[in-house]
Amino acid sequence: MAEYLRVIGDTLPGADMNAPLLELDDLRVEFKVRGHRIPAVRGASFTLEQGRTLAVVGESGSGKSVTSQAIMGILDTPPAKVTGGRVLLHGVDLLEQDEETRRSIRGNHIAIVFQDALSALNPLWSVGFQIGELFRVHRGTSRAEAKKKAIDLLDQVGIPDARNRVGNYPHQFSGGMRQRVMIAMALALDPEVLIADEPTTALDVTVQAQIMRLLKRIQEERDMGLILITHDLGVVADVADDVAVMYAGEVVERAGIRDTFKRPAHPYTKALLRAIPRVDSVGRELEVIRGLPPNPADLPSGCPFHPRCFAAEDRCAEEVPPWTEPAEHHGARCHFAEEVYVDER
Amino acid sequence: MGRYIIRRLLQALLTLGIVLFLLHYLMALSVQVRGNPALLFFGGERVPDPAMLEQIERLYGLDSPCYERTGDPCLVPFVERLQRLASGDLGTTLQGNRDVGDLLAVYIPNTLRLFIISTITVVTLAMLLGTWAARRRGSLVDHSVRATTILVDSIPVFLILLSYVYIISVPLTKWARGIWGTDSFMGQFFRPSYNPDYPWVTIIMPGIILGTVGLATLTRLVRASQLENLGADFVRTAKAKGLKERRITMVHVVRNSMIPIVTGVGYLFAFMLSGAVLTEGVMGIPGMGRMIFQAVQRQEINLVLVGLTVSAVVVVVVSLVVDLLYAVLDPRIRYD
Repeated sequence: MAEYLRVIGDTLPGADMNAPLLELDDLRVEFKVRGHRIPAVRGASFTLEQGRTLAVVGESGSGKSVTSQAIMGILDTPPAKVTGGRVLLHGVDLLEQDEETRRSIRGNHIAIVFQDALSALNPLWSVGFQIGELFRVHRGTSRAEAKKKAIDLLDQVGIPDARNRVGNYPHQFSGGMRQRVMIAMALALDPEVLIADEPTTALDVTVQAQIMRLLKRIQEERDMGLILITHDLGVVADVADDVAVMYAGEVVERAGIRDTFKRPAHPYTKALLRAIPRVDSVGRELEVIRGLPPNPADLPSGCPFHPRCFAAEDRCAEEVPPWTEPAEHHGARCHFAEEVYVDER
Repeated sequence: MGRYIIRRLLQALLTLGIVLFLLHYLMALSVQVRGNPALLFFGGERVPDPAMLEQIERLYGLDSPCYERTGDPCLVPFVERLQRLASGDLGTTLQGNRDVGDLLAVYIPNTLRLFIISTITVVTLAMLLGTWAARRRGSLVDHSVRATTILVDSIPVFLILLSYVYIISVPLTKWARGIWGTDSFMGQFFRPSYNPDYPWVTIIMPGIILGTVGLATLTRLVRASQLENLGADFVRTAKAKGLKERRITMVHVVRNSMIPIVTGVGYLFAFMLSGAVLTEGVMGIPGMGRMIFQAVQRQEINLVLVGLTVSAVVVVVVSLVVDLLYAVLDPRIRYD
């Protein structure tokens, strides 16, 4: 256990251990494209506590990946720019830190697993080198020692014969094994927050379940905070503790996983749940959400979901809905959150 | 890896064989169409004694009856020539009866010096300018780099050489000699022609000028491949790992963008052989390019063939080296 013990304050000055692990407060990100400012994230807020798993769910273009990259501080600037809000890690606002501090936080405190491990790993370096690089850069470890640690990590994420495979290159691994390598790399410096950005989307269904179980196991073993970004509510059902649903760059519903599945308070969440194929829906036509996700450059007035919403009324096209909490720890951005929650809409 | 090398080696040998045969065939055709080069031995003017002519023809391997039949590939002399080349016998010139091996010993080092300087120039400039342009994509720097390199590239190399010699070289030499003296480094550096007493110093400027051949192509190649890698997913991963900007560039961008650049340098090397004829001609450098050009003018068949064989060998060897460098750089090729 001593190996895992370390002083957060060393690399994160001003850390308050009583504050939530990671808190997003009204995060805003814009893209500047040919002189136009296009909002990609329009006020995302959620909280991640230590040892919990938060699923961030949304369609493509809803801003969930941009949010995760903004937390990491790896957005391409320009064209992207964080225009407002706070990202608090142990109560320290990361957006106010200088680049050197942010760099040392990456990998050390927050790590990320990307969707497509084949392109996310450098094809010209062995996986051992790419994992060991973290120890060598952040901890000044020697080459030989870094290799040993890399073998150890590969072993932990379930890569058979890790000792012999440490010198292999990414193209010599299967898709699932490559994703395990990505996970090993993210775990290297024992971060408190792990972001998994669609970690299973590029994989076969059977491998998807294995990777999910691996993430869950590691999260429990290390008592990490895990942010699971996905477009598939079904995937996160057994692993997540909390859910944040994103639509058009904002969080439209936040709740515990059971509440989300049983009593969604936002029509969008409700529609998403209906779109999950289930055993008892065999033979029936699969429900879909009509329409397309909105263009972030040209959002509908009022509630951005109203053109696709089954519960929309006239006021939805005019007034931006406020954040409403129909129950404790359960909030949604909808005029009719209460009614949707009690299933009257 | 072993199989990859063997396959590439066999391909290189096959290429060389085909090139050598084509050279021989073209030469045979020229003899068949243009007439007997052995007459040159006698000054080309008076008609020699038939017995002596026959002796000379035998000496130079021109006695085969196939040279009388237009279109005959002359396979027997081809095989004989290969055998002589293999045993290290490069033959002699028709005029002056000089040993071709001795000539090459003088010419090859000069051309090699020229190429070393040219290659260093073009690779350094292209890497610097290309990286700079890639970093500042779409900015004034990017556009000026593109415009300048294309401008330099579209001016024929002989024009650059002549303007250098007449506008820059002569006054600068005069000025430098006035300050540092004739025998100093600076006094020789800008010399408008080659000086065998200063084989390196007087070849630097011609080398740099030859290096501008293909500068635009290589610069844009560097720019494109770096841009591609700067936007790659694994660079985002490297950022997410908290690596420093410089380490990301050195470890994760440069090596990945070297693959197309190595190809480009290989092709440029072959391309520069043609530029060498002009550069060596204008600057008076006794090198391979000038030698081949003069040999063609004088119908020195043997010299032309040996010279072109050497350049063919160089091109084949360079592409072989390029192929091997791929394997060193990219494990996906190594383990295929």
